[in-house]
Amino acid sequence: MVSPDNEIEIGNLTKVYGKVVALNNVSLEVGSGEILGLLGPNGAGKSTLMKVVVGILRPTTGYVKVGGCDVAKEPEAAKKNVGYLPENPSLYTGLTVNEFLRFLGKIRDVPDDLLRDKISEALMTFSLEEKADALLGTLSKGMKQKVALIAATLHDPKVLVLDEPLTALDPKSQVFVNSWIAAQGRGGTTVLLSTHNLEIAQDHATRIAIIDKGSIVALGALESLRKMADAGKDARLDEVFLKLTAET
Amino acid sequence: MNSWSTVATLVRYWMKGRFTRATAVAMLVGESFGLLLVLFVGGTFLSFSSRFNLGGSISDASLSLLFAFFLVGLIQSGFNGSGLPVSSADVDYVFTAPVRPREVFAAKVLMNSVTTVLLSFPPVLVLYLRFAESYGTSAGSAVLAGMVTLAFFVMGLFLSADITLSMNSRLGPRLKLFRNGLMAAVVVISLVPLALLIPGAPPLLGEVVDVLPSGLAAQVSFNLVSGARWTVATGLGLAALGAWFLGLLALGVRMARSQFYEVLRLEDPGSPATGEGGEKGSSRLETRGLSVWAVVRSKERVMMSRTKETRSMLINTLFLAGFMVIYSLSGVFQSSPTSFLFILFIIGSFGSGTAARWLEKERLWIIKTSPLDLTRYVREAYRARVTPLLLLLSPVAAAVGAPLVLGDLNHPTSLLPIGLSLPGALEVAAVMMGGGMYFAARYGQSTADDLLLAQGQDLTDVKRFLYQTVINLLLVSPIMALVLAAGPAATALGASSLVPLSAALLGVALAYTVLILNYLLSAAGRSLRTREDL
Repeated sequence: MVSPDNEIEIGNLTKVYGKVVALNNVSLEVGSGEILGLLGPNGAGKSTLMKVVVGILRPTTGYVKVGGCDVAKEPEAAKKNVGYLPENPSLYTGLTVNEFLRFLGKIRDVPDDLLRDKISEALMTFSLEEKADALLGTLSKGMKQKVALIAATLHDPKVLVLDEPLTALDPKSQVFVNSWIAAQGRGGTTVLLSTHNLEIAQDHATRIAIIDKGSIVALGALESLRKMADAGKDARLDEVFLKLTAET
Repeated sequence: MNSWSTVATLVRYWMKGRFTRATAVAMLVGESFGLLLVLFVGGTFLSFSSRFNLGGSISDASLSLLFAFFLVGLIQSGFNGSGLPVSSADVDYVFTAPVRPREVFAAKVLMNSVTTVLLSFPPVLVLYLRFAESYGTSAGSAVLAGMVTLAFFVMGLFLSADITLSMNSRLGPRLKLFRNGLMAAVVVISLVPLALLIPGAPPLLGEVVDVLPSGLAAQVSFNLVSGARWTVATGLGLAALGAWFLGLLALGVRMARSQFYEVLRLEDPGSPATGEGGEKGSSRLETRGLSVWAVVRSKERVMMSRTKETRSMLINTLFLAGFMVIYSLSGVFQSSPTSFLFILFIIGSFGSGTAARWLEKERLWIIKTSPLDLTRYVREAYRARVTPLLLLLSPVAAAVGAPLVLGDLNHPTSLLPIGLSLPGALEVAAVMMGGGMYFAARYGQSTADDLLLAQGQDLTDVKRFLYQTVINLLLVSPIMALVLAAGPAATALGASSLVPLSAALLGVALAYTVLILNYLLSAAGRSLRTREDL
C-alpha cells in the first residue's frame, strides 16, 4: 500500500553511460515508512538507480524527487533528507571512528548538543563502543560496514538508501541489522533496500521491485509478484525472482 | 620447482602485470621528460662551470650531491616500509603461495633493479654523452660512467630494501627511539656532500664523502667521463664501490631468510602506517562550537598528519632549506638575475607535489551525498593544505633571501628582483598547489568502486601529469616574468621610483595569484560536481 505522501518519486528516469543504457525509463514511488526491496541480477542497474537517488549520478532524462525536492535541481535540500550506505563503503582510513562520525554529523547538520550522545548511543547499539578511538583503517570489513550504517543514520534522515547492507557482516550482526532495518521502517523512515539476500526482502519489504537490464520488470507486494510469475501462493521469493527474471 | 625457476616465474608475472599499455605510455612520457631535463641540467651545468672556471672537484662534489639526494629519498622510503614495494595481489597470491621468503626477496630486487636500469639508462647515457662531448672524451667512457651510475642506483635499491627488512613492526618504544636516531644519522651522513658547497669547507668532509656510496659513485663516474688519469685511488674507489654493492646485497639476502612480509607496506596513500600508529588514535577532531567549514579544515589537517603527509612535508622542506641556504651562501644566486627564477621554481614546485594525491585520500561519495557546497569544500580543503605549506616555506624563503639582500644593500635596483622573488616563490607554491588540486579533481580517483578500470585510470594519471606540468608552468609564468622584468624596470626608472614600482609589481603579482587561485578552485569544485566516476 503506497502512502499518499511519497518520500521518493522517480519519473521516467533514464541513465546512459556512453552507449550503455543503465536505466531505461524507470518510474517508481516509495511512500513514507515503506521498505522497498530492490532485487535484480548483477549489473541490472540497482546501484545506478540508488546513486541517482542520492545525487551522486545525474539523470540523463527524467527526474528523482526525495522529500518533494528534485535531486538534480535542489540537491542540497534533497540530500538533507537522505542517508546512504554504498555497496563498498570507503571510509577515511586516517580518522578514528569517533572523529569520522563527528565529521559526518557536522556536515549533515546534526546539532552540537545532540551529536556526542547520538554517536555514543549508536556505537553502543552496534556494539562498537570499544572501537570509538580506533583508526578506521585498522577495523575489520564488518566493523567498517557498521560504522557506515551509523554514518547513514546519524542525522535521522527521512529516507535511507541501503545498497547491500549485510555485506561482510557476521551472522549475529546480520540478524541484528536485519531487525534494525525493520525497526527503521516501523519508525517511519522510508527505506530503499538493494539486496541479493532474498530472505531479508521477503521478511521486511513492504513491496519489492525487480529490476533487470535497466527496467523494472515487476513491482508489488510478494503476493502480487507470485501472481505475476504464475507461482503458487506459498512460493518462495527466490522461485518468483527466478521466474520473473528468466522471462525478460 | 627450484629457486631460480620460482624467481623467474615471479619476475615474469610481475613484468606482465607492470608493463601494461598505460605504463608503456607513462614510461615514454617520463623518458621524454627525463631526457629533456638532463639535457637542460647538463647544458646549464657545463656553461656555468666554463663561465666560472669550476674545477673537477666542484663538478665531482655536485654529482656527489645529486647522488646523495637520490640516496636520501630511498633511505626515507626504506624507513617507511616501501623499500620492497608490494601490491595487494602480492599479499593475496604470492605471500600465501609455498614460495620461500628469500625467493620473493630475490625476485622483487631483481624486478626493481631491471626496471630501474631500463628506465634510467637512456637519460643517464645522454647526460654522460653530453659531458664526454664537452670534455673531449670517448663515447665508451660515457657508457662506462653510465654503468657505474646505474650500479649505484641499484645499490640504492638494495639499501632501501635492507632498511625495510631491518624494521620490525613490534619494536618497543626504546628501540623505536634508537631506530629514529639511526634514521636521522643516516640522512645527515648522506647529506654531508652539501657542506662541500660552502666556500672554505674543511677537506676532511671531502674524505668522509669519498667513502660513502654516493661519493664513491660520483668520483668514479666523473673520473671516467672527464678522462682523468687512472690512479691507485681510483682503483680503490671502484673496489670500495663494489664492496658496498655486494655488502648491501648480501645483507638483504641474509635478512630475507625468515618471513618478513608484515614489515612491508601496501601502497595506499589514504591509510595511516598501521605498524607505526597501532590500532588506537587519540581523538583530535573537535567539532563542538565550530562552523562546518572549520571542521572540514580540521579534518583535512588530521588526515594529513595521520597519513604522515605533514611529516614528509617538513622533512622535504628541511632538505630544501639546507640545499637553498648553502647554495645561496656559495654565491651562485648572485651570479645572474635568472637565478631568481631558480629560487621561484624550486621553492614553488613544492606546492604541486603535496596536492597531487589529495583526492586519493578524499572520500567523495560522502561529500557528494551531503548537502555541502562542493566548491566551498574544495576551497576549505585548499586552505587547510596551503597554510602549513606556506608556514614551512616562508622561513626557507627568508633564509635564502637574507644573504642575498645583505649582499645587495648598496645596489637598490638589484634588490627589487630579490624582493619580488621571495614572496613570488610562495605565490608560485600556492598557485601550483591550486593547480594540483584542480587536476586531481578533474582526473584523480577517490575511491575503489569506480567505473574506470585500473588501466584507464593509469592513462588518466599520465594525462593529468602532462597537463598539470605544462599548465602549472604556464600559470606561474606571469609571476616569473614580473620578477625578470623587475631588474630592467628598476634600472630604467631609477632609484627614486623604486618604492612605487615595488608596490605596483607586488600588487600585480598578488592580484594575479588571488584571481588565478579563485579560478582554479572554482573549476575544481565544478569538476567534482559533474564527475560521475567517483
